[in-house]
Amino acid sequence: MLLEYLPILILMILALVLSILVIVLGTIFGPHRPTPRKGLPYESGMTPFGPGTRRVSVRYYLVAVLFILFDVEVVFFLPWAVVFRKLGVFGLIEMLVFIGILLVGYVYAWKKGALEWE
Amino acid sequence: MAAGPFNATMILAILPQIGLLALGVLVSILDLLWKENQKRNLGWLTASGLALIMVLAGVFTAPAAQPVLVFGGMLRHDWLSFVFQMIFLFGAALTALFAMDSEPLSRKGEAYMLLVAATLGMTLMASAADLIMLFLAIEMTSIPLYILAGFIVGDNKSTESGFKYLLFGATTSAVMLYGFSLLYGFAGTTQIYQLAGILQQGQFSTFTLIAVLMLVLVGFSFKVSAVPFHFWAPDVYEGSPTPIAGFLSTASKAAGFAVLMRFLLVVFPMTEHYWIPLLAVISTATMIVGNTLALAQKNVKRLLAYSSIAQAGYMLIGVASVSPLGITASVFYLTAYLVTNLAAFGVVTIVGRSTGSDELSAYAGLSRRAPGLAMVFLVALLSLGGIPPFGGFVGKILVFAAAINSNLIWLAVLGILNSIIALYYYLMVLKVVYLYRSEDENRPLAIPRSWAIAMGLCVVGILLLGTVFGPWYQWSVTAASSLF
Repeated sequence: MLLEYLPILILMILALVLSILVIVLGTIFGPHRPTPRKGLPYESGMTPFGPGTRRVSVRYYLVAVLFILFDVEVVFFLPWAVVFRKLGVFGLIEMLVFIGILLVGYVYAWKKGALEWE
Repeated sequence: MAAGPFNATMILAILPQIGLLALGVLVSILDLLWKENQKRNLGWLTASGLALIMVLAGVFTAPAAQPVLVFGGMLRHDWLSFVFQMIFLFGAALTALFAMDSEPLSRKGEAYMLLVAATLGMTLMASAADLIMLFLAIEMTSIPLYILAGFIVGDNKSTESGFKYLLFGATTSAVMLYGFSLLYGFAGTTQIYQLAGILQQGQFSTFTLIAVLMLVLVGFSFKVSAVPFHFWAPDVYEGSPTPIAGFLSTASKAAGFAVLMRFLLVVFPMTEHYWIPLLAVISTATMIVGNTLALAQKNVKRLLAYSSIAQAGYMLIGVASVSPLGITASVFYLTAYLVTNLAAFGVVTIVGRSTGSDELSAYAGLSRRAPGLAMVFLVALLSLGGIPPFGGFVGKILVFAAAINSNLIWLAVLGILNSIIALYYYLMVLKVVYLYRSEDENRPLAIPRSWAIAMGLCVVGILLLGTVFGPWYQWSVTAASSLF
């Protein structure tokens, strides 16, 4: 029973050994010539600007939450659309109920001013 | 699991959930339409809506003698889930009444909506018959409660309370989910009622099964605030708005017990001999820790928090007895505890609002300032302590009887000893209420009508459960029988 998971264990051990090996070999054999430019933290290839721990406006959080909410809604549409013919009228009503509830949430967020940036 | 054609029974089985959803949507729409000074009425709306759902569910949803699985085996429509759903709806309705005049909640539509959402999650928890459904239901209950616990914006204690609850809840959920995933890995199904059969046939060592059981127990113990997962309770209750603390300590705990009973008895009956002692030890530790720490409390909310931890210990005795009587006892105890603790937290809400403090010293002279209120507190605390003729007494008798019937005599003795310790600190509070004098004695406390109604309901409930306990006992028996 537990033996069936042996390949996963081997894979994990291999991954661990390999990553340690690569780093160790690199530090032993590789040239080590640091320059100030090389020592900079990596930020998508650009020169970093500003401190790394600056504050992020809390408003992004609200936008992110709304995004996830309506994004997931769209994800549900996809499998529904694929089997739409099989589900028939029942599927249509079910989806209308689903959208209806989310629509109330949307109007709620809108009216409460969640979509206004200022 | 045969999905079965879609039919009217399925809709009737989830009638309470549909009603709760409609109520939540209605509350959020009205929250947008109503003006600021009308919003207090949302509390009346929520409470009466919940009462209406109770009536409708009582008429149309009462399950048949034979339990049925609906929605492709996701939910089980039986008496256990029905009785628990009634308990949650009643608790939520009372909480809505208490919230109406509690400063941080009264004019916030969100508060009522979140309360309804949490109740919806609980009703699903009680009837969930599938690991995925169960997990979703637990999360659906927890997330609104995290927000409600931290609802007082700008108050450090409330924020701490919400955050602590979230961290504890998320961690224990993760551990529990790991247990679920192992169960699925072993059995290849998420249907709770199929799991047991497959686990029994397969060659799984008892050790593995117990390990999985313990992982799952972490999540449930958090919900019922059993030792060693009780640390969050006092801090969360102290910081959160008082009506919400009452809701957390009653309905949320009851939901945890509903899940615990179903899961242990249905999925793990073959390892009974191992988890009965485990549960008995957890129960003992919960009682002792809750009661001894409550002795030292000077803040009434914290005192009630530790007392509610101890109460979970008594209810665990019933579950550890693993007999129809034991489950009956736990269900009955939960019902009595619900009305009792909601009444106690109601009194704390009122005193907290008028004096601005939850310290024990603020209760001095309460019997002269508000004799009726002091009387409600007396009834609630004596019922918690297990004094006749109140509901808590019958609950305790049933629980101890169940333990003795199942040969757990030592557990019953420990339970009785603990009740004596508990009585000490309940009487200490009553001493302050009745015997101590204060300078504000001549200023009576204002009690709004919504609170008077809610407290009246609680007191009537406590007295009914303690005297005319026949019908409630019969319901508990029916609920318990659907597990065996």
